[in-house]
Amino acid sequence: MYHAAQIIIGGLVQGSVFAIIALGLSLVHRVTGVINLAQGGFCIISALLLYSLEVSYGWPVPLAFIAAVVGTTIFGVALGAATFVPALSRLGNSSMLMLSAGLLTFIGGLALVIWGSQPYAVPPFSGEQPVTILGVRIPSQGIWIAGTAVIIIAGAWFLMAKTSLGKALTACAENPTAARFMGVDVQRLTLFSFGLTAMIGAIGGAVVAPIMSLQFDAGGFFTNSGFVAVAIGGMNSFPGAIAGGLFLGVAEQLAAGYVSSLFANALALGLLLVTLLWRPQGLFFAGRQRRHDVREDQRVYKSIIRFRGRGAMIWALLGLAVLIALPYMVGSGLLSSLVITGILFIAVIGLDVLMGYGGQVSLGQGGFMAIGGYTAAVLATTYGWSPLVGVIAGIVVSLICAMLLSVVTMRLRGAYLALATLTFGLLIDSLTVGLTDITGGPSGLVGIPSFSIGPYVFASQMSVYYLVLGIIVVLLVAFFGALRSSFGRALQAIRADQTAAAALGINVPRHKMAAFSIAAALASLSGSLYAFDFHFLAPEMVSTSRSFEMIAMLVVGGEATLVGGLSGAALITLLPTIFQPFAAYKTLAEGAILVLAFQYMPDGILGSLARLLQRKRTAPKLPAATLAKGEAR
Amino acid sequence: MSESALEAKAVSITFGGLRAVAEVSFTVPHGSLTALIGPNGAGKTTFFNLVTNLFPPDSGEIMFYGSSLRGRSPAEIAGMGLLRTFQTARVFPGMTALENVLVGAYKETKAGPLQQMLWLPAALREERRLTERATALLDLVGLSVYRDVAATSLPIGAQKLVEVCRAVMARPRLLLLDEPAAGLNDAETAELAALLRAVRDSGITILVVEHNMSLVMDVADQVVVLDLGKLLARGTPREIQGDRRVIEAYLGVEEETA
Repeated sequence: MYHAAQIIIGGLVQGSVFAIIALGLSLVHRVTGVINLAQGGFCIISALLLYSLEVSYGWPVPLAFIAAVVGTTIFGVALGAATFVPALSRLGNSSMLMLSAGLLTFIGGLALVIWGSQPYAVPPFSGEQPVTILGVRIPSQGIWIAGTAVIIIAGAWFLMAKTSLGKALTACAENPTAARFMGVDVQRLTLFSFGLTAMIGAIGGAVVAPIMSLQFDAGGFFTNSGFVAVAIGGMNSFPGAIAGGLFLGVAEQLAAGYVSSLFANALALGLLLVTLLWRPQGLFFAGRQRRHDVREDQRVYKSIIRFRGRGAMIWALLGLAVLIALPYMVGSGLLSSLVITGILFIAVIGLDVLMGYGGQVSLGQGGFMAIGGYTAAVLATTYGWSPLVGVIAGIVVSLICAMLLSVVTMRLRGAYLALATLTFGLLIDSLTVGLTDITGGPSGLVGIPSFSIGPYVFASQMSVYYLVLGIIVVLLVAFFGALRSSFGRALQAIRADQTAAAALGINVPRHKMAAFSIAAALASLSGSLYAFDFHFLAPEMVSTSRSFEMIAMLVVGGEATLVGGLSGAALITLLPTIFQPFAAYKTLAEGAILVLAFQYMPDGILGSLARLLQRKRTAPKLPAATLAKGEAR
Repeated sequence: MSESALEAKAVSITFGGLRAVAEVSFTVPHGSLTALIGPNGAGKTTFFNLVTNLFPPDSGEIMFYGSSLRGRSPAEIAGMGLLRTFQTARVFPGMTALENVLVGAYKETKAGPLQQMLWLPAALREERRLTERATALLDLVGLSVYRDVAATSLPIGAQKLVEVCRAVMARPRLLLLDEPAAGLNDAETAELAALLRAVRDSGITILVVEHNMSLVMDVADQVVVLDLGKLLARGTPREIQGDRRVIEAYLGVEEETA
């Protein structure tokens, strides 16, 4: 009994932190309709700032705390003003979600550049001595955390319910256009709410710093926990966020105390998938149902890039010739990077079918890479199966998982779909780390053989290069065939307008399922090839950050072009190889590229290039021509 | 007497206290171009929604080539060959005008994704054949020059024409068009008239809700007039133009409209 009380207290302390972050997520979601994944980034920045000021510079705790929170809030406001707020008026909800994922990556990269990759620890605010209440010992920092949570919650409630500022914020959430006409400065209030969440996150991060090991990428942990809490509790309700946070904290601690910490993580994510399936509006408090079509499908297509006819054929053959000759022109270091570019591009092709053509966002492609990679690697290494059979087995397992997951995803659209896939990816992440007996855990799986077909072993980088190139050519020819015909048109019609597509007799669920399966199968293939190429597989090689990276590759390269992703994959993979001294800046650059691409280059590299080329032989000028014809009659 | 494509039998629906459609009965003969007209609030669009079962009628029945539409889903009705367009243009963004029209041919495409992936000659031939037909349709409304332009970058009138082409591409047996001429300029309206005639001559029956009287009088074989949810008159355009009740109820008395 005493043990259980101890665990529950621990859970409530942990849950208070989740509740603080969940509250911040809920606040931004209420005002903007966007789930701001960058939230956890502010926690870690603030915690690391606190470490530097308190431990390195010896500032007194209260001063260091205030400075860390103020500094992080200023950083948050600047970041929001430069990216989030201006992008909000141009991008739909799922794009905003990915932009915020880019911001999270960017913040993590910044922390890596400043603080490096080693973990830090901050001493508790009021000593190590635990406090005893009614015979239960509570770590003193727990009191600090719970107290802070209560203050923040009370403050947020007062702001929203009792002040005119709160009413204006609610108006932004309900109907931004009408609010604008009523004289509410929507942009400024959006920035205000973004800054406020940065501050809430900063306070949460600083107060929790003493009880965790602080590392540059811990922002992901904060975001995930807060996001699971708010999604379970109810996206649009403060009580829901708080209840979700406390519930998640207690459930995780109980599961960790009585089963294992792996189970705790899987439990939380499993719970979230069930919630999304059963009650997407949240388990505890539904809150007000948001009209979530308000900002869907805002994307404007200025021109459309199509590769057709002899010109495209000549370019394709030219490109192929260059790619065939390339290995003889580069050194071995660059060749390895080219191989990895190609392997990742295979997964990006699948993502393009799903996201570029089908309009379904998946933040869980890393999960399918992991399934394919680990299935093939374990079968080949532990059980001595042939790599080819392993690859096929990986694809089969991935397809089965995709079918199961699609029970959830078929019913969801836009941002909710993205969240469900993100949850799936996180679940696989926790499994690859946790199932140590099978996957080797965090230290990875070693001794994976080279890929082979029958007696032929792809031992040299050169041979793997041509293998990957061959696979890519086959895939591109096949998918160009399908996507230029009725299959691709049906997918695009569904992306644009499900109702109108269904009215023309298109089977919407079947096409969504097909796109999802293609993406899963190709990610799986890519993951297996990756493992066989590296002879080693560790969780972070195929994790959720890889999912984000692949989205960056696709968006930077150009969506709905099939080949566009190659330029994105090459850019993100090759740059760190070419500029070795800047390798530490890779994460930072990736985040920045993703954010900038979403804001300023919606068509990607390839799209922008194609537009430049097309401008020369411009399409006929439209309205003018129609008018002239009208006048002639 | 020719077969009837659509037959409304005493169809009624009430919203709250308002009888939006009351005991309306008429037939659309196979192969005809029937226009449904009436002042605002006469129940024209409501009637369309009843036909496509967006909501079911309170009483009465609608027959499509002899079989009842009662209880069928909008998708099922589309599958039977009854297609509709909407008042507002709903072209697919992110696709060219030609691709938009080609989506209409989805149901009749025989080659599956696998055959398309393998670039099988049969799939390529089919694609070429459909592209030719879609281009011919766009040509009919003077838009074939813009076939490779993003559909959403076309003027609204042209978008509506593309949408009609898309519906025609699906080779429905009966095509319901909801105010296709709204937002069209004179030139586009003339293109639309030519398209409607060509479509009818190709054997597709058309029922069109339209406000543009000169278009209706120009192309319709039969005109059905609704007023306040009730059937007011039906006949040839010439008969309707001479009908006093119609002139009073719909066209209004001269002094009033002036």
